Amino acid sequence: MQSTIQKLYLCLIMIAINTQTQMRKGILEYCILSIISKGEIYASDIIAELKKAELLVVEGTLYPLLTRLKNNGLLSYNWQESTSGPPRKYYKITAEGEEVLKKLDHTWKELVYAVETSLSGRNNLI
Amino acid sequence: MNKTIIININSIVFHIEEDAYEILRHYMIDIKKHFGRTTDSDEILQDIENRIAEMFSERIQAGKKEVISSLDVEEVIAQMGRVSDFEEVDDFSDTGDTDNKQQKEEKSSFLGHKKMMRNPDDMIIGGVCSGLAYYLGIQVKWIRILFVLFFLFGGSGVLLYVVLWVLMPLASSRADRMAMRGEEPNLQNFKKSLEDGVEQYKEGFNQAKGFMSKGVQAVGDAVSIIFRFIGKFFALLLLVFSGVAILGLIFLLVAFSLGVMGYQDNIVFPPLAYLSKEQGLIALLAGVLALIIPFIALFHLFLRILFRTAPMNTYISLSLWATWIVSIIMVVVYSLVGVQDFKEISTIKVEKPLQAQTIYRFAERDLRVIEASTLENGQKDYQVNTNAENFSSLIREEITVRFEQLDSLASPYIQYNYTAQGKTYQHAAERAAKIDYEIKEGKNKLIFDSHFKLGPTDLYRGQKVAVVVFLPLGSKVIIAEALQDKLRGISYWSCHDQADKNENGKETSWIMQKSGLACN
Repeated sequence: MQSTIQKLYLCLIMIAINTQTQMRKGILEYCILSIISKGEIYASDIIAELKKAELLVVEGTLYPLLTRLKNNGLLSYNWQESTSGPPRKYYKITAEGEEVLKKLDHTWKELVYAVETSLSGRNNLI
Repeated sequence: MNKTIIININSIVFHIEEDAYEILRHYMIDIKKHFGRTTDSDEILQDIENRIAEMFSERIQAGKKEVISSLDVEEVIAQMGRVSDFEEVDDFSDTGDTDNKQQKEEKSSFLGHKKMMRNPDDMIIGGVCSGLAYYLGIQVKWIRILFVLFFLFGGSGVLLYVVLWVLMPLASSRADRMAMRGEEPNLQNFKKSLEDGVEQYKEGFNQAKGFMSKGVQAVGDAVSIIFRFIGKFFALLLLVFSGVAILGLIFLLVAFSLGVMGYQDNIVFPPLAYLSKEQGLIALLAGVLALIIPFIALFHLFLRILFRTAPMNTYISLSLWATWIVSIIMVVVYSLVGVQDFKEISTIKVEKPLQAQTIYRFAERDLRVIEASTLENGQKDYQVNTNAENFSSLIREEITVRFEQLDSLASPYIQYNYTAQGKTYQHAAERAAKIDYEIKEGKNKLIFDSHFKLGPTDLYRGQKVAVVVFLPLGSKVIIAEALQDKLRGISYWSCHDQADKNENGKETSWIMQKSGLACN
């Protein structure tokens, strides 16, 4: 009996962690797309912006996301020579990416509305 | 003083301290392990290496600091992040990155998007039925009943089951199982799946639905136990069946190859007679392999189901596959080779005069019977006039005899039509010319041989002999009963009433009229 309760408790914690991860992840891709849509940008500059927004801590996590967005045709890149070190990949949003971004903008507005509506009246908010 | 190592990242050279190098190396190995699973890993690793190279070159100042220290490496790693930091972000994305994105784009259509997978949570043999049940949205028991019915009607259910088993992947991960049920791998469903897991953990192996009363649950348990038992029973049955089939095929291989080599005549597989000895052996081996390998696979499969033995070694299973495909190709090739040799047909027509007689008496000599009485002086050491070791495969009985009428004054003759088939018309004609068959004129008798002979190395290629006997009107004809099977155009038995038995065996007498032979 004891172990069943322990297991249930563990599951609850896992759900909480997963919720955070999922929320963060969904938002992260949206933010990366938004940052890149402002103009051609280098990966470490994207990092800097994300760090400023306190969304991302380490650089390593960005590369898989960029590769995936690129492979899905939302981003493209070109190589540019750098004064210090190897040539750099500069990312740019594609037309397809713009379209997805528009949709995401719309979704985001809906979400914000949904969350605000749901949270209104709650008094235990920090 | 420190020892330095020279490393090369993306064709940029760095001097690095030995201990710093060790740290960097371990870090890169960890990263490779982490991304090694995904499809885009090469590109991601390249990006990371590039970035590391860039961060290193930022730290190097000519003349002041030319070597990367372990402190530098630690800082770079901290900036890049450790593998444990990555896991938090791509927790969900590592199961097929591109798939996930597609699923995101077609969110609305996802509900109809199920994957056909085998269900490990509810399996009797391989989880095919319960996987199908999810895919089709039908209760699993109906699928199981359907499969059992399919098995009863000709066993086709087994084949279908095995094929599906091979084709359907096992839903081993939680995400797979959700895809199998057609649930979107989002938070709610993940939660649901976890809750399901806890429920299952609590209430045992069966899906315990809250509304299910205990009685129904007991019945469900019983049904599932019965099905499990039936499944095992059929698996055992099929194990024995495929084992027997394997043994039988091995026996047939030995028997047939002995037959092809001419040792044994009891068991003859007719199509093999169309090929030469060497071709026949290869074709036989290929044919048996083509049949036996699926049975070996089945045998192994059921052995695994029943006794949970280890899966087949990859090399063995691959070479079995290859052998199977090659043997099927061989069978097809040899069938084509055999058929090719029947493509063209040629007939050679020979006419020979016949001595005019008052009564034409036709008899048959069975080639296989040696009549000692015909030998001179009662000699016993007669010689059989053939050098073939396998007499009966060299004689053919494709012989027909017809009678036609001539003007009463014309002299009688016999027409022989020798026919054979071959790859080309030339081959066919050569074969036809080789047929040696002629009527023998004995005392008051015309004797047909029961068979004609093929050359000792010749194969059967549609060789046949059609004999037409042209006789003047009014000729009297007596035909021996032994010839009845060769006669065409008349029925021996229509004159059977008049058949009289004499020293020549049963005979019937006929007379040549305008309409052909008629009973006398």
